[in-house]
Amino acid sequence: MNFPARAAAIAFIAVAAVPQGCASSSTELTLEDGRIVAPSADGVLKVTVARSDVPLFGEIRTENGRRVFEPRFPFKPGVEYHVVFESSGRRLEKRFILPAPAASPPTAVTAVFPGRDALPENLLKFYLHFSAPMSRREAYQRVRLLDGAGKPVELPFLEIGEELWDRSGTRLTLLFDPGRIKRGLKPREDSGPALEEGKSYTLVIDAEWPDAQGRPLREGHRKPFKVVAPDERQPDPKKWKILPPKVGSKEPLAIQFEESLDEAMLHRSIIVVDAAGAPVEGRIEIALQETLWSFIPAGPWKPGAHSLQVDTVLEDMAGNSIDRPFEVDVVRPVEKSIGAKVLRLPFTPK
Amino acid sequence: MMRMKLGIALVALAALSAPAMAQDLTKDMKKGTPDLKSAGPLAFAPEGVLLVGDPIGGAIFALATEDTKGSPDSVKLDVPAIDEKVAAALGTSPNDILINDLSVNPASGTAYLSMSRGKGPSATPVIVTVDGTGKIAELSLKSIAFSKATLPNPANPGEGKNNQRAEAITDLAYAEGRVIVAGLSNEEFSSNLRSIPFPFKAADPGSAVEIFHGAHGRFETKSPVRTFAIYGVGKQPNVLAAYTCTPLVRFPLSDLKPGTKVRGTTVAELGNRNRPLDIIIYQSGGKDYALMANSSRGVMKIQLENMEKIPGITEKINDKAGAAYETIASLKGVDQLDRLNKDNAVILVRDGGPLNLKTIPLP
Repeated sequence: MNFPARAAAIAFIAVAAVPQGCASSSTELTLEDGRIVAPSADGVLKVTVARSDVPLFGEIRTENGRRVFEPRFPFKPGVEYHVVFESSGRRLEKRFILPAPAASPPTAVTAVFPGRDALPENLLKFYLHFSAPMSRREAYQRVRLLDGAGKPVELPFLEIGEELWDRSGTRLTLLFDPGRIKRGLKPREDSGPALEEGKSYTLVIDAEWPDAQGRPLREGHRKPFKVVAPDERQPDPKKWKILPPKVGSKEPLAIQFEESLDEAMLHRSIIVVDAAGAPVEGRIEIALQETLWSFIPAGPWKPGAHSLQVDTVLEDMAGNSIDRPFEVDVVRPVEKSIGAKVLRLPFTPK
Repeated sequence: MMRMKLGIALVALAALSAPAMAQDLTKDMKKGTPDLKSAGPLAFAPEGVLLVGDPIGGAIFALATEDTKGSPDSVKLDVPAIDEKVAAALGTSPNDILINDLSVNPASGTAYLSMSRGKGPSATPVIVTVDGTGKIAELSLKSIAFSKATLPNPANPGEGKNNQRAEAITDLAYAEGRVIVAGLSNEEFSSNLRSIPFPFKAADPGSAVEIFHGAHGRFETKSPVRTFAIYGVGKQPNVLAAYTCTPLVRFPLSDLKPGTKVRGTTVAELGNRNRPLDIIIYQSGGKDYALMANSSRGVMKIQLENMEKIPGITEKINDKAGAAYETIASLKGVDQLDRLNKDNAVILVRDGGPLNLKTIPLP
């Protein structure tokens, strides 16, 4: 990205009012198209961040009888740079700061999933949605889980340096520490589960969490919830209620689930296939605390036997998938494994 | 935070057979500009090949650094306030960069840092080198010989904004002609360890093996790997892995076969309120050790001698059961760790102030 030459030149001159060292003139060192240009070819040109002696990565070359520095990365608004040109006993020196671009509206928390206010003791994750891309390597300092007395729960989340963002940087997956959920592991045995049945908690998102531009959020966010019994059952598609739409209409096709399912995975793990086996185009909406999945087709429903193809990786709030419970009790293996990767649920538009 | 490095044993093995396989790893690479979207975990393969995990792009890149000569035994890397210096070279402030990983090229002793300039999803990925003189330079990605392996993403393509599934790459390593990649999905609770033949072949994206953990011989769960190292001299190579749910486990590298279900043998329970960050393998007095940086318990030195004979921990145990380890409490605030040469390691360490790159003797 190049900064507009005109704006940059104005800023350059504006800050040049702070001369350093020997005599200098604002006309002699210039910023042209994001490059530093010295008045002659004969001399040493050095560009650094102010108060650092490490030269910026970039290329220095001679063009039209002038020394030119082309930075490897564009100069950043708000950072103060220092330019020195030394040529046969003459020293030119400049400092400059590029103006910040016009501010866009502050970033806000737009949603937190699961949407319910009663969550299982073995809840596996939260999804935090933001209106704009966020900074990485901040999450675990910016999110707290408070107990009913307002005291922070110690290390409830799995802290990994990479953090679990989507590619747009607008959705963070906050996993609970699996060591506090899985039975028989030291973290749980020593500290107990992060969430305990019958108690109340609040997930608190700090307003100071910087977005990708380094600005704080518009405001913090709180999600109070109470904790209910752990959920050790897998989602059971046999209990789902499919509400078929009318032939020729653009009515939504809906599925009512027997429990809340993973909001993120609901957007990608169920597809609609027509009588000819071709995927039906449309959009998905999730409602009623992730217990209702609706598919709004792009065109009218055709007659004939359709099907829903469900990826058995689909999980509930506790990480139990259609295929496999989160935790398998190998001594009493009562849980079932579907075995198939894709389940077909038939339906016919009315 | 992420990472691991390949055990010195395997580097040594590769070095011994180097004449026969010289140029083998890079001969099919093409010169060009790798389209890195992010630079995450790093690891070196032989012949100066730098493996770079790109979690945003969902790919592993192999870059021919041509940094294949040097005297790593005489290198000492010490750069105080490395974050401030690197940020200045990138023309920005230390709070506007991320240092994602550190890897030392065993051929030259030069340290490589994977970074981003900016902290958001569109930040620019950069790989920076630091040599024994303290000189900081950029590994130019213009006209470099490279190859790329794309990691499969099961998210439905063409789902537009709904396709938000991504996989964090928590660690990677080269071993025995394969690149081993540990990942963690941002949606389903998965536990894939991917094994990709190297040099990369477009037709073979490798296979993913699911890793499980059995607690007390009763509860079995999928167990993502946070960091791992590969060890074993003149015998069966093993993977020493720290699970995200804390236990340190071992399994033979040869177990990573398609369609198999790998269950790690728990060799140590590292205790609560602790997060393993990084593991390296080294030898001292003819014995193998692992050195592991942790979030709160200092650096642990773990004896690997006869580890395959240690019975797996299957019962409720005391805090320090399993493999013998000692904690080097003086090493606090270690973020990144890699082996420099036979006697020394390099660490990125923060002691209240800026981040320092330091050489420390292997304990």
